[in-house]
Amino acid sequence: MDEHNTPDIHTRITERLRQIQYPGSQRDIVTLGLVGKVQVQTDSAVVQIRASSIKEDVLRHLRGRITQELTTLPEIVHVHIHAFAAQAGEPHQGGQAGNQAVRERADIPGVRRILAVASGKGGVGKSTVAVNLTLALGSLGHKVGLLDADIYGPSVPLMMGTEATPRAGQDKKIYPVEKYGVSLISMGFFLDDQSPVIWRGPIVMSIVRQFLRDVIWSELDYLVVDLPPGTGDIALTLAQEVPLHGGVIVTTPQDVALLDVQRGISMFKQVNVPLLGVIENMSFYECPVCHEKEEIFGHGGAQKTGLKVLGQVPLVEEVRVGADAGKPVVVSAPDHPVAQEFFGIARQVVAAEEMQLPQSVH
Amino acid sequence: MPTPLLLTPIPEDQLLRVLWDDDTLNDYPFAYLRGWCPCAVCQGHGGERHFIEVENPQLVSIDMVGNYAVNPTWDDGHETGIYTYVYLRSLGESQDSQHSQDDPEGTH
Repeated sequence: MDEHNTPDIHTRITERLRQIQYPGSQRDIVTLGLVGKVQVQTDSAVVQIRASSIKEDVLRHLRGRITQELTTLPEIVHVHIHAFAAQAGEPHQGGQAGNQAVRERADIPGVRRILAVASGKGGVGKSTVAVNLTLALGSLGHKVGLLDADIYGPSVPLMMGTEATPRAGQDKKIYPVEKYGVSLISMGFFLDDQSPVIWRGPIVMSIVRQFLRDVIWSELDYLVVDLPPGTGDIALTLAQEVPLHGGVIVTTPQDVALLDVQRGISMFKQVNVPLLGVIENMSFYECPVCHEKEEIFGHGGAQKTGLKVLGQVPLVEEVRVGADAGKPVVVSAPDHPVAQEFFGIARQVVAAEEMQLPQSVH
Repeated sequence: MPTPLLLTPIPEDQLLRVLWDDDTLNDYPFAYLRGWCPCAVCQGHGGERHFIEVENPQLVSIDMVGNYAVNPTWDDGHETGIYTYVYLRSLGESQDSQHSQDDPEGTH
């Protein structure tokens, strides 16, 4: 502090700072409360930016703007900015007041996008779709992982044809199982075929958390999460624990399934996850002899959701056999029309996700 | 869904300032925010929400929850309140429109 530390220069500094708009807003950084203490020491201004939810890149931009504005003042040659961007970290690790004040949920290291595959009810073939969608994304050249979040009824190991046990890494971390170029984790890898999972919600939630945080996922373009049916603890934990980039709903054409699907859609809406679209499974049965299409479960279910229809997967034996044999149709018969349908779905998912065009539901 | 662009705790003024993506700006005095904690510990299950009187609560930190909510941690260790963006926005609005009724110093 010295004789330069006068109200006059402070007023003019504030005036300059008020010229700086926050990106995406008409408001300036002083109004927003971002500017804390400002001190002037000889020819230097020291500006403190309060801890906030500000992102690194926005902060970088503002640093430049602040320096630019303040050095227009004849008294100011140097500008020092003390600032804290939002911290990425695990929730609830304490912290001192005023320090590390706003925290983002940490992303999963190396994972670029997390997609959730959900349905309002069971038995619509959600896991089958999730497995084939993941493999199709992989075939398009993306690095993919599949997290089987159905803790009570894990079916991914059977469908992917592996019973390997995940390798233990350091610090209680585990390596995912690799099959068909996909990184996999499932409760099924930790259980005998016979043993049921008889756990209450909090334990199950901690398993999901571990699958997200304690698995060494390495570099992935897409981590697909196969959710259990319904809108319970697991789905909510996932939505709270990580920023989900998109949700995909699997349904069958009949109305009773649709009723439950609406609940799934509402759930994603409530937790603000962009819905990329709906996949209609068991859409129709095509007679292998006469190739006549029969819509066993009715018609037009997916359209009624009001979401973008990403694809319609017919009821064909190859899908069921592939899943049971651990050779999903996308891998075992990539030229089959149903595999082609999955490739189409995968392309649509990528397009919808990259365009960041959440489908609104009304 | 209204989404915050920026959350800034301002300890000097004992409030959390929130800039929304429609450029609305809301101030939440700590006692007001703490008082309307939506968690089941504070509110029980069912029934109307009521104001929880807490003396001089200090915001220790605030966590973003997924894409849809924020979760403050208070200096008394309370950290179970998950304020959805929709709820937080409504708190900001009810504070604006009927400040006297919702004033934390009031008789809730």
